[in-house]
Amino acid sequence: MKRTLTALMLLAGVLGTSSADATTAKDIDSFTLDNGMEIMVLEDSSIPNANMYLFWKVGSRNEVPGITGISHFFEHMMFNGSKKFGPKMFDRTMEAAGGANNAYTTEDMTVYTDWFPANAIETMFDLEADRIANLDINSEMVESERGVVQSERTTGLENSNWRTIQEALKGVAFSAHPYSWSVIGYESDIAAWTLEDLQQYHKTYYAPNNAVVVIAGDVKLAEVKRLANKYFAPIPAQAPPKAVRTVEPLQQGERRVFVKKESVSTPNVMLAYHIPATSHADYYALDLLSSVLSQGNSSRFYQGLVDKQLATSADTYMPMSFDSNLFYILGVANTGVEASTLELALLEQINLIATQGVTAGELEKVKNIKLINFYRDMETINGKANTLGTYEMYFGSFEKLFDAPERYNTVTPEDIKRVAQTYLIRANRTVGVLAATEESDK
Amino acid sequence: MRLMKPTIKMSLSALAIVSALSLAGCATTSNSTVANVVETGSFSLPQYQTVSLSNGLKVNLMVQKEVPLITINAVVRAGAVNDTTSGLASMTAQGLMLGAAGQSKADIEQTLDFMGASLNTGADQEGSYIDASFMSKDLDKVLPIFSNILLSPDFDTAEFAKLQQREIVGLSQQKESPRAVIGRYFNKLVFGDHPYANPSSGNSESIAELSIEQLRAFHQGFYQPNNVAISVVGDFDPQQMQAKLEQALGQWQNTEVAVQADLAQALPVMGASRVLLVDKPDAIETTFVFGGMGISYDNPDYVGLTVVNTILGGRFTSWLNDELRVNAGLTYGARSGFVPFSKAGVFQISTFTKAETTKEAIDLALKTYARLWEKGIDQATLDSAKAYVKGQFPPKFETASQLAGLMSEMYLYGFNDDFINQFQAKVDGLTIAETQRLVKKYFPQQNLQYVLIGNAEKIADIAAQYGDVTKVDIKDSGFGQ
Repeated sequence: MKRTLTALMLLAGVLGTSSADATTAKDIDSFTLDNGMEIMVLEDSSIPNANMYLFWKVGSRNEVPGITGISHFFEHMMFNGSKKFGPKMFDRTMEAAGGANNAYTTEDMTVYTDWFPANAIETMFDLEADRIANLDINSEMVESERGVVQSERTTGLENSNWRTIQEALKGVAFSAHPYSWSVIGYESDIAAWTLEDLQQYHKTYYAPNNAVVVIAGDVKLAEVKRLANKYFAPIPAQAPPKAVRTVEPLQQGERRVFVKKESVSTPNVMLAYHIPATSHADYYALDLLSSVLSQGNSSRFYQGLVDKQLATSADTYMPMSFDSNLFYILGVANTGVEASTLELALLEQINLIATQGVTAGELEKVKNIKLINFYRDMETINGKANTLGTYEMYFGSFEKLFDAPERYNTVTPEDIKRVAQTYLIRANRTVGVLAATEESDK
Repeated sequence: MRLMKPTIKMSLSALAIVSALSLAGCATTSNSTVANVVETGSFSLPQYQTVSLSNGLKVNLMVQKEVPLITINAVVRAGAVNDTTSGLASMTAQGLMLGAAGQSKADIEQTLDFMGASLNTGADQEGSYIDASFMSKDLDKVLPIFSNILLSPDFDTAEFAKLQQREIVGLSQQKESPRAVIGRYFNKLVFGDHPYANPSSGNSESIAELSIEQLRAFHQGFYQPNNVAISVVGDFDPQQMQAKLEQALGQWQNTEVAVQADLAQALPVMGASRVLLVDKPDAIETTFVFGGMGISYDNPDYVGLTVVNTILGGRFTSWLNDELRVNAGLTYGARSGFVPFSKAGVFQISTFTKAETTKEAIDLALKTYARLWEKGIDQATLDSAKAYVKGQFPPKFETASQLAGLMSEMYLYGFNDDFINQFQAKVDGLTIAETQRLVKKYFPQQNLQYVLIGNAEKIADIAAQYGDVTKVDIKDSGFGQ
């Protein structure tokens, strides 16, 4: 029997009905080892596989100028050899057991993902414990990995307009907070970090008390507990890392940035507004506002821009975030449409919501979209592991996942209008334009 | 992220390709030489039933109750290989959403969005697809829309003109990303005048030429019950579902015989190495692929080739990724793969590097590729690849959407449940001797074809070292000569 989360049923109970099989909150077990490492387990035998996700509370917000990008670079180094499993052996051992892995770094955290046949679980514990406790950072590995990360940075800029414009825009939108630089870091910093920087980073952040582990799939709680005690519990806790102290000063007026790229066929316009951290009560209203603007062909942006042939696409992006961050909007102009025209058209849609609000039907629609997207996340063991860990990290407890349906459901049209009026205003805005040529002053 | 994402965009995801990698058995008859079988758990296709509606339309019904969602797929045996004007199959599929049975595009979209439902249409080389995903409680609202757009699209004139314009500018925008388009250039280089060279997207000139009458004729010619399969996966009662489908689709009648080209004819032979140099003057890196003809979906050696390709360029520790990324630091990722069609296919090796290291990266990729013949595969590497391929297989068929997609591919390419149910056993049976036979027979070794996208001023001399060069500008309409 496949299992689902109680949240699914709560959502369905609030917003609809369901005949699907489901489990209860009791099916998610969590425990904390003596060294402070938190572990969550969700048994699901739908396929003979399991996942282990390790969420570390370290991302680009923990960096300072000179070592920008080091969190992400460190993510790469975690695969390059430790005491028991030397260079290349992490991947080779995992793949030989039928497993695969990846990792990602954000502004706030670094996440390692292992996907494997369930009977390989002990190998996963052995591999992870060794690199957490005994990583061996050597200079030869650092040099070849530097080239890899330089290529990752370059290919992102080559293939993604989003990355190109976002990198420039963040540098302008933030004047003090480390969200100012991109997760991949500055080119010169990638070329410059030292062995010592990396060793210090590992010691500071890769302590078991700075991690949350989620295991979902065809596993048994008792076995996971046994393995966690055998492999993770002996790793000593460390003093907690220093808090990030910088608070971004209030923006007092619009900021702008232009980026030239010759192969861009039509202008791209990015708008970004400062918004509070994900833990703030306005998160849910802002998230629904984001959907009203951009989700589906009945959205405000599609109807107001794409259907009218002003833009070929217009999207929003609101990352989950530990600190106050940005609400992003990106429009891509249709042929013959200037950046300034596109910008005004995007602003018109935002201002319509700030002045006239949204309809009850529109709000119900985006709540339904939230619900179905949530089901899709919960359809796989991978989605479950990622969602549980993400809630634990950004809301302080995976149990907040169970509050989410009610939080979304209580948002009113008035709330949407209020957050639009509060945050999506000119003084709080940064505008970025990416195009082949800059518009003239005329 | 540590790994590059797949660089080739494929409709219905890589499922089409993965699924093909399973057909029939490899030629191995004995397990006696297999040193080590890693146990990865038992996995088989969930139960489903195939029923016929009163008009003969085949429907697959698979119940999955983990979440209250349903996926309904229709797959039509018609794709870019049937294009009379490039992009016709794709524009017809997209055109289904421009209004149906008198209900406008905006109305349909509003109704679907309100339920959180999604309904997408598209076409690739050999198939056209309608894919609906929705909450099970909304079945009675979604099914009539699904049926209307499949059977009675309006092909509204004003909406078509807007779609056409968006597609034309979209094609230019796609060329801003070499990764998004390099596969279309490579297909054109390899297949030349054969229908498999047709890019399903069309090109800016062909899209401009298309008319609504062509869309209507294409729909009439190919969208018929005897040329379509329906697959339903999710949280529903099979008996009720069959009755509802009968009501929605049972009256649909065949009107004419769908005319299919014989794609096994006039397949090209690679007579010499050729290089297509695609100039992107502001490129900061060179994106390249090389390879040649691959294999078709029905090849009995597919499972074995999947394993061999995993070793060469199908996973993180593959030879290509290990040499180009891990040892040399030249790239963020390097990979290889077979892209199969029903009667042919391509094999390609792909990566990217900064302009200054273009030659170094190509040469290292070629040298690494040559190991297949020069050194071959050792037992430990083969065992590892077999474990990896088996262990990573079940999550490809976990969701309603993935399972419905699988059944669509079964219809389109003519394979059955053995694909899932025999997969592990076939992998376990692969021997070293068998890998040697597969390498010799299937991996193109001579007359390799190359596509390089980058700054021609910097890399033209390098390009010339690998074959006769044809140079095009990335902003030119189409995907090469």
